[in-house]
Amino acid sequence: MNYPPKLNNIINLFQTLPEDERRETLVSYADAAKKQEPKPGEHFELEDVRKDQECADTVGVYLHVDEQGKAHFRMTLGPEVQTLTRAMTAILCKGLDGATPQEILDLPSDFVTRIVGAELVRVRSQTTYYVLSRIKGICKVWLDRQRMAAVA
Amino acid sequence: MANASKSYAHPEVLVETGWLAEHLADPAIRIIESNEDILLYDTGHIPGAVHIDWRADLQDQTIRDYISPQQFAAVCSREGISPETTCIFYGDKANWWACYALWVFRLFGHTRVKILNGGRDKWKSEGRPMTREVPKYPATNYPVPPKRLDHEIRAFAEDALAQSKSGKPLIDVRSPGEFRGEITHMPEYPQEGVLRGGHIPGAKSVPWKAAVNDDGTFKPAEELAKIYVDGCGVKPETETIVYCRIGERSSHTWFALTYLLGLDNVRNYDGSWTEWGNRVGMPIEKST
Repeated sequence: MNYPPKLNNIINLFQTLPEDERRETLVSYADAAKKQEPKPGEHFELEDVRKDQECADTVGVYLHVDEQGKAHFRMTLGPEVQTLTRAMTAILCKGLDGATPQEILDLPSDFVTRIVGAELVRVRSQTTYYVLSRIKGICKVWLDRQRMAAVA
Repeated sequence: MANASKSYAHPEVLVETGWLAEHLADPAIRIIESNEDILLYDTGHIPGAVHIDWRADLQDQTIRDYISPQQFAAVCSREGISPETTCIFYGDKANWWACYALWVFRLFGHTRVKILNGGRDKWKSEGRPMTREVPKYPATNYPVPPKRLDHEIRAFAEDALAQSKSGKPLIDVRSPGEFRGEITHMPEYPQEGVLRGGHIPGAKSVPWKAAVNDDGTFKPAEELAKIYVDGCGVKPETETIVYCRIGERSSHTWFALTYLLGLDNVRNYDGSWTEWGNRVGMPIEKST
């Protein structure tokens, strides 16, 4: 599987790390999650802000698709969102930036284990996959609308 | 040791944030953080605190059970804890997992245990110091406990069934929706594989949160007595069993009943609803 280049770089980074440094790096990404919030003046084709059963607080996903069909994401996280979810937010916003919505939708989720590590996935599987499912969800809505517009 | 003396039966089991701030370097204590958020300790913790993960450190990795006495001794030795060390537990979620870890330490007979009243959130909200520095303590040689106190403070499904049939106090500390059988997980949490919803017949619903104030500190003894003694009929001479979904929220209530109200006959059914709601043939009651 060829992952988007930016995501591939992140996967390769995490795969070289011993467990303690993997945790430190996840925490560094979690610290950076706030930088993924929408900036003033930014435009989005889709916004999906909601509180799901699977997550401890509200998570917002904002999608902009540029003229080249490349996706760019912003996300907002409520204060109760857990550290691992924050980390995955920063990782995926950066790693999937510039991929197409279809590429993201087709992405297998196996890379999550390679980033987070099997142990954290085992004990927090719902948490680790939640952000990816939300990003895929907004990409699917965007693609469905494009298809509907094309046949209209 | 300073504490919240609000007529609790054992006020010495609670320490306040102000007291702990003045005793961070006390060699007689070990501060232990235990959380639901698995990376929260890594983002910052009370200076000198060690991290004990409820799943990785305290549970057997294959069988659904707790670690062996040998493994418990190894965990304590690793963290520089001896039988004389006073372990002060704190964590997120108003100390759910801190109480759970304390309960597991009691399972192995470690007697010097305390809870930081209000937990991690109160410490942080008061602007007290946090650090990412992970402390290292000289390893100890913690003696292997002779046994786990499985029959003293822990209840199994058969015990809960007998309790249900006898009409003795059973307290379900889950959310009202879980108790009524409308949902099988707490609100805002994933469904983790329970096939049936409801509660153990005869159980009374007292969500764990009834025991705490808005800031996560425990309510005064007289309020706790109204809730549990007057409201649920718990009493010193009668055995009480508490349960939730996997035993963490009920550890919190077990702590309040055992140490703050002074009831000696309280056991935590850690199999809780994820066992009861899946086990073939167990009686279930639903209510509206």
